[in-house]
Amino acid sequence: MEHVWDFSAVFSNWYLLLIGLKNTIVLAVVCLVLGLFFGLFVGAARYSGNRLFNWPATAFVEIFRNTPVLVQIMWFFFAFPIISPFDINAFTAAALGLTLNTVAFSSEIYRAGIQSIHKGQWEAAKALGMNYSQQMGRIILPQAVRRMIPAFMNRAVELVKMTSLASVIAYGELMHQAKTISTIEFNPIEMYTSVALIFFILIFPFTLLVQRFEIRSKAKG
Amino acid sequence: MQAGSFIVGYEWDFSVVFRDFDLLLLGLVNTLKVTGLALLFGIPLGLLLALLRLYGNAVLRIPASFLIEFLRTTPPIAQLFWFFFAMPILLGVEIDPFEASVLTFSLQSSAFFAEVFRGGILSIDNGQWEAAKAIGMNRNDTLRRVILPQAVKRMIPAFLERAIELMKTTTLVSTISYADLLYQANTIAQSTYRSLEVFTVAAAMYFVVIFICSLAVQRLEHHLGRTGELTKG
Repeated sequence: MEHVWDFSAVFSNWYLLLIGLKNTIVLAVVCLVLGLFFGLFVGAARYSGNRLFNWPATAFVEIFRNTPVLVQIMWFFFAFPIISPFDINAFTAAALGLTLNTVAFSSEIYRAGIQSIHKGQWEAAKALGMNYSQQMGRIILPQAVRRMIPAFMNRAVELVKMTSLASVIAYGELMHQAKTISTIEFNPIEMYTSVALIFFILIFPFTLLVQRFEIRSKAKG
Repeated sequence: MQAGSFIVGYEWDFSVVFRDFDLLLLGLVNTLKVTGLALLFGIPLGLLLALLRLYGNAVLRIPASFLIEFLRTTPPIAQLFWFFFAMPILLGVEIDPFEASVLTFSLQSSAFFAEVFRGGILSIDNGQWEAAKAIGMNRNDTLRRVILPQAVKRMIPAFLERAIELMKTTTLVSTISYADLLYQANTIAQSTYRSLEVFTVAAAMYFVVIFICSLAVQRLEHHLGRTGELTKG
């Protein structure tokens, strides 16, 4: 069977794809910002010697790292609304699942980054009379964050890929738009090929950037 | 059950879940089946891709590199949909959800395994190549008998981590109606209206399996690290 490639229906629906792209980016950015922000606190709690902080944080991280992210999204969309005091739509459910997932993974990056800083730095900061939050905020984190950048960028790449899962609960991101267009126009070949290419073009520059960062930080030692 | 209704005293009822527990177990078996087969095909294919990328001439190296990068940077769900909805029409073949799943995840994981292989091979000291050359081995023998055995030992934790990632990613097969654990959970939830209980139990089942695997990997990593067989690439 000879297939004649015809991309015209892809181009004529460019506006729907653009909306999908926008929604993909919105979801990714929201989850990345919230995930990195709360990840810092969970990471600090994981690093803390106090069991009151340490244990709940560890349980949270292990649960979210050891279950599939699609299960998390489905849980927040189909199960959570039953006990939730507020309304859950597709965006909220996807954002909750992906954000908490990012919190769990980024907290481990923070923890590893903080652990990688030599003990002497803490002691020196203490010797200068700084309290814990000053030691952390002024001495440890600025050094640690630089080492964490490649790992965070990898997380961002993973996150953009994961936003495509929101299509399963009908959030109108790129993958969902492609699915819709392909059912209307009967062009799954062109549509799914195009959407894979769009994701590739969106993400590949990032992976190149990560590689460059990794090489540079390795060279620096 | 209205979403958003403020239910303080929700009455949990797990009986429906346990009545259909064998369906969930069947789903778990199917999850493991797809994961296992994808590993079985993905690892050798990954080795092949890694060798092509490392030692192939331009005609082999460039497509292999491109394939690896493409599979690593596009979402798995886009790949799965392509193989399930687009490829059959393109090639005029019939493919069922199971075959599409195994095909997609074999290829998808092969790209990641290729990078693990490449990292492992590159981590072996150049002296090993030179020593093998000095005793008269050619490149293939050196790879097979000197480099790979050492590299593979170092790669074991990375492999297992990838395998766990793969198991998590296979939940996508539920979107093309392959009866994995998530699909079974979704089906039961729809027929019993007990989605809270069903999805919670399904998530717990995933957690138990994946957490045990993660602990085993950590233990092994610790063990290998102590015996000095592990160098982080």
